[in-house]
Amino acid sequence: MAKEIWVLAEHQEGKVKGITFELLSGSIEFSKQTGQKVAAILLGSGLEEATKSLIPFADKIYLLENPLLSPYTSDAYESALLPLLKEHEPSIFLGGATSTGKDLFPRLAMHLETGYAPDCTELSVNEEGRLTIKRPLFGGKVFAEMVFSEARPQMATVRNHTFLIRENPGRSAEVLPIPTRLDPSSLKKRVIHLEKSPGARLDITEADIVVAAGRGIKGPENFKLIEDLAEVLNASVGTTRAVVDEGWRDLKDQIGKSGKNISARLYMAFGISGAIHHILGIGTCKTIVAVDTDPNALIFNYADYGIVGDLFKIVPALTEELKRVLAS
Amino acid sequence: MDIFVLVKQVPDPEATIRIKTDTELEIENKYFTNFFDEIAIEAALRLKEKFGGKVTVLTVDHRRVDALRRGISMGADEAVQIADPALEGSDPFAIARILTAYLKDKPFDLILAGRQAMDDDSGIVGIALAEALNIPHVHSIIGLEVDPSKKEAKVIREVENGKEHLTCPLPALFTCQKGLNTPRIPLVMNVMKAMKAQIKKVDSASLGMEPNKVGSSSLQVKVLRYLPPPKRPPVKMIKEDYPENVKILVRLLREEAKVL
Ligand SMILES: Cc1cc2nc3c(=O)[nH]c(=O)nc-3n(C[C@H](O)[C@H](O)[C@H](O)COP(=O)(O)OP(=O)(O)OC[C@H]3O[C@@H](n4cnc5c(N)ncnc54)[C@H](O)[C@@H]3O)c2cc1C
Ligand SMILES: Nc1ncnc2c1ncn2[C@@H]1O[C@H](COP(=O)(O)O)[C@@H](O)[C@H]1O
Repeated sequence: MAKEIWVLAEHQEGKVKGITFELLSGSIEFSKQTGQKVAAILLGSGLEEATKSLIPFADKIYLLENPLLSPYTSDAYESALLPLLKEHEPSIFLGGATSTGKDLFPRLAMHLETGYAPDCTELSVNEEGRLTIKRPLFGGKVFAEMVFSEARPQMATVRNHTFLIRENPGRSAEVLPIPTRLDPSSLKKRVIHLEKSPGARLDITEADIVVAAGRGIKGPENFKLIEDLAEVLNASVGTTRAVVDEGWRDLKDQIGKSGKNISARLYMAFGISGAIHHILGIGTCKTIVAVDTDPNALIFNYADYGIVGDLFKIVPALTEELKRVLAS
Repeated sequence: MDIFVLVKQVPDPEATIRIKTDTELEIENKYFTNFFDEIAIEAALRLKEKFGGKVTVLTVDHRRVDALRRGISMGADEAVQIADPALEGSDPFAIARILTAYLKDKPFDLILAGRQAMDDDSGIVGIALAEALNIPHVHSIIGLEVDPSKKEAKVIREVENGKEHLTCPLPALFTCQKGLNTPRIPLVMNVMKAMKAQIKKVDSASLGMEPNKVGSSSLQVKVLRYLPPPKRPPVKMIKEDYPENVKILVRLLREEAKVL
């Protein structure tokens, strides 16, 4: 029996995250070459809505329900997943390069003595189902093409927007509830509470479009201009370390080497000089726009489209133009 | 509180990296102590200053001890270098196995590591070590408070939609993220002293490591080849005057890049 391709389903308040649909869509493509079944692995409690949304995207859904699996902790997820992984020995196990994936996968891989590649930006399989990946090293100055050995599962976490979500995946998953008993005394960590970020915007790592401003914005109050632009584009707002260190924006919005790597479809940088530390965080963005008053700003070396100009004029005009165009 | 801090000397983000052959890189000799590891050292020192105890910095590296010296100059009490040419080519899992062999019968309350090393960018070593030692871990923390009498820590972890507040019994391992603290700059006098400080050297044979568990023979994911980053097309500068340039940008984004 050909072993399965598994995807860890991440969800929040009942809704499955975009990255999970991306990974399932990619896995369906792989399965066309390998003939393997695609399974979504869903853990938590109160999972009806999440289960329903996954049905068209997989052949199977392994449903692990237990109140101790909500909210996520690595202890509980690991205890629940290890027996299942050992029983089924999937060929591939993918997760998002998210706070959950990056937290959980190294632990599982160490325990199973199997291969794990973090933060992948490209994946392919051959007919035998062997996985080859590409991942950035040194913050993206070099990429490594890597292949897995014989150990299974082949585990990888994958950046947002590596695969496109297929609109009509055309599967109809069989839902397989897995009895999941957990011993509360064996679970050491406890989440006391989740302090939600204000505002409804997606995290910059998850957003399709990210608009950002650097020190060129001159002060925290002027971020209103960027927020207005983000509103029109349904984008998230990022920034540079210089701005975070000034205390103008929260650390969670920092893009770059000591902040977050983003993989947006569209990234727009206003008043950002383009220091290598910042550039390393945007290397896998699809389209990059830069606006800066300095024609020699390094950011222009990495952009697809550039305008030498004053962001205080350009940003409001851009917001108005987009409002006009997107409305029609 | 007995605290171990895992540290690594890594190429500076500004160092030039050249692809020499398919599977060989040439790295400019411009190294610094991993940014996140300094945050881990700082966190350990603050706990020591509050509760007493000992901070030991620990590296697996047979070439560079600068990260250890950095740790000592900041205020760490002891430095341990696990050094053995047999470890060449080890991946983060092998590094975690070596660290496990060294730490498994040492007493400690806490192990601190960086969120990730700025060379392989893996974020594996700390977490894999916690698994092998069978202690809890919390990844990417931006807040830490310890209650030594209760042997418990309160930590804050960064997640996509906010901040998670957790409690975790000790001993535990935490990986440290920017925001936890601002590492101190060591005094010149202490930097001088650290140059002469004694570093305890350990080899992997004395740890009873099986040779096939470390080095390049232990790899489960192997590099086929190194590649330059995907090339971006040359920038298109929009030279028209304002506000025409804004209109053109929007048109290009819609019609050429097709991202809107
Ligand atoms: C170890 C280490 C890690 C780092 N990690 C990160 C990281 O993760 N992320 C990060 O971003 N940085 C990081 N940095 C810092 C980085 O080196 C730069 O200092 C920082 O990115 C600069 O931010 P900036 O572009 O906002 O500011 P500046 O470099 O000051 O650039 C401001 C730009 O705004 C332009 N400008 C001014 N006025 C206007 C206007 N009216 N309209 C349009 N443009 C205008 C200027 O021409 C200039 O190009 C790191 C540094 C180190 C040493
Ligand atoms: N060779 C090493 N010696 C000691 N600690 C290490 C070593 N490599 C990595 N670490 C620690 O593990 C963290 C994560 O590294 P990595 O998994 O390589 O991204 C680093 O920030 C260090 O704290």
